[in-house]
Amino acid sequence: MPTNKSTWDWEIGTETSYLGASPQEFWSYRHLLASLVKRDFLLKYQQTVLGPFWILFPPLMTLVTYLLVFDKIVGVSTGELPPVLFYFSGIVLWNFFSSGFAGTATTFRDNSQIFSKVYFPRLVMPLSVMSRNFFDFLIQLALLLLMMAFYWLFLDWSVSFDLGLLWFPISVLTVGGIALGMGLVFSVLTAKYRDMAYLISLGVRLLMFITPVIYPLEAVPEDVRWLAVLNPLTPLFEVFRLSLLGEGTVSPYLLGYSVLFMVVLMVVSLLLFNKQGDKLIDIL
Amino acid sequence: MAETVIQVEDLSKLYRLGVIGTGSFRQDLQHWWSTSVLKKENPFFHLSGAEAGSLPKDHIWALKDINFEVKRGEVLGIIGSNGSGKSTLLKIVSRIVRPTTGVVRGKGKVSSLLEVGTGFHQELTGRENIFVSGYVLGMGKEEIRGKFDEIVDFSGIENFIDTPVKRYSSGMYVRLAFAVAAHLEPDILIVDEVLAVGDADFQKKCLGKMREVSHSEGRTILFVSHSMQAISKLCDKALWLHKGKMQELGEVSAVVDKYVSGTQQLKLKQEWATPEEAPGNDLVRFKSVELVPELLSPEAPLDIRTPLKVRFQFWNMTDDVILNTGLHLFTYGDECIFDVPSPVMRCDKGLVEGECSIPGNFLNDGSYYFSIIIVRDTSVEVFYFEECLSFEVEDYRADFQWFGKWWGAVRPNFPFRLRQKDSVYQQKYNSHS
Repeated sequence: MPTNKSTWDWEIGTETSYLGASPQEFWSYRHLLASLVKRDFLLKYQQTVLGPFWILFPPLMTLVTYLLVFDKIVGVSTGELPPVLFYFSGIVLWNFFSSGFAGTATTFRDNSQIFSKVYFPRLVMPLSVMSRNFFDFLIQLALLLLMMAFYWLFLDWSVSFDLGLLWFPISVLTVGGIALGMGLVFSVLTAKYRDMAYLISLGVRLLMFITPVIYPLEAVPEDVRWLAVLNPLTPLFEVFRLSLLGEGTVSPYLLGYSVLFMVVLMVVSLLLFNKQGDKLIDIL
Repeated sequence: MAETVIQVEDLSKLYRLGVIGTGSFRQDLQHWWSTSVLKKENPFFHLSGAEAGSLPKDHIWALKDINFEVKRGEVLGIIGSNGSGKSTLLKIVSRIVRPTTGVVRGKGKVSSLLEVGTGFHQELTGRENIFVSGYVLGMGKEEIRGKFDEIVDFSGIENFIDTPVKRYSSGMYVRLAFAVAAHLEPDILIVDEVLAVGDADFQKKCLGKMREVSHSEGRTILFVSHSMQAISKLCDKALWLHKGKMQELGEVSAVVDKYVSGTQQLKLKQEWATPEEAPGNDLVRFKSVELVPELLSPEAPLDIRTPLKVRFQFWNMTDDVILNTGLHLFTYGDECIFDVPSPVMRCDKGLVEGECSIPGNFLNDGSYYFSIIIVRDTSVEVFYFEECLSFEVEDYRADFQWFGKWWGAVRPNFPFRLRQKDSVYQQKYNSHS
């Protein structure tokens, strides 16, 4: 009895698909995603003396450095905002972006062992990295909120939340989306061209200087401002501060540009990741 | 007839050797431009038939033109020497890598077990690893919870379940890893050589579990192993791959026999002129070993009816020593058929000769080998000459119309009587009266 072709459940051909795993299949691996996030968290903090405190310690050290160098020595203006809040808000959001991007950009290299032994939707891995970084971000954000409360209660700093707060989740999601999208594109590149991995840490450091992390966009001279504005992260950092701390320079157009950039990047990177994912296993 | 659950069609896989994969960026761009944009043939290699012979030097076909089908509940063993493409085939069927040409179609959920402890992490405890590994292999949360106790029980490491696996012995690690895998419930299970690790008892347990899974639950298994014994025990059919091509596909014992005789040189006689070059040690050295079949005519094949004689001579290098020898016959599945001891004898320096007769109508058809052991004082091994003779026994059936593989390692011709005790009609008549 010749079997009808349409009765097969699955088919493995020569061509990889742009669409990757079906939503149902992806959903069936949700527990894997959750357990990977949990695993990474446990592995990172289980056997250290200070445990989860390590999530807060590095950004605090960075804050101290920035306060010393940029506030006391160089004297970068932070506008009306207390420098502590200004720098820490920038550090928290930048950490989310940079560790999300760097963590996902080496997906194939880091997981070559398991990828070459078992099949599961490859996207689970970068998503678990992003989730863990988001978790770290939330903890750091809680510290930022505590600092704001402290300034508000004891140091006579006033802040009023209004509808602008709605921009807050949008800015965080868009930053996360750009980090993941860039991470997915670079995960393919680092698997194919090994030296890309070295460029990433360098690139991230340079990118920080054209993003308003340590300076407000307002403080940038008009004639070079285009460079910062061209960076889709710029409006997001500004609107993040605006919604939380009440100060930032942003226009709806620039924000639209960032969101559009994120959406296009996500689509392109997902297609690329799915299409290249299976092929890369051969060369890992 | 059971339905086909895996269909492999014209499957080939091309690999590039050398500095793996990382061609230059420019080359990749050219490739992409000409194949995707201009829709031309790949400029770096052509797959069209006429050019297939002119494959660039650094490319190699890991698999070429593989075609087979597997039916539901069938266990297919895949055998072949190293580098014959077994693992590549499993990786393609497992969806890990893509074929260069051809297609694999299938029905049902596939789980693959290509290494021991996929998804295990050294720092996590046994309990945590059961979950992570289970998820990686495609199990659901409820499924793992439901089977958790069974898994721990199967592995036999209850006391260490909350200890990080880095503190496990390698045996415990393998047990736990296989226990998770053994409780997978896919429709198709793909297993690569994972039984090579672990102790003999546990291997037996795993084989038993796998057989149970395939026979009672109708699960389909693809199984790669170097152990012909495991393959013979577990599989219904076997596929022999040789340098990426299909050499033989069919009923398991036939393929295993052909594989064994194809890869093992027949050794019917070995002789050494001087003790210096002969196998042995300071105490004994073999001069010759020989298998003498008593054939009906010089052209007749060595078949199941043929009586055999094993003759051997060895130089004994010590005076006044009590020796005896043992003759071991093995199948190429490494199962021992018999262990026949010689009489014990007091020997002096010089040549000692032994001869053992094996009657005809005793061995089944198949491939066998002999090993000879020399023992001192009936207890101390002096020298064990492994696989010193190897031979094949061919089939012969005079009165049978049935040609399937005859069961058993031996096919002895014991006296067997069958006769009519009384007829059914007579019995009926008697009971009614």
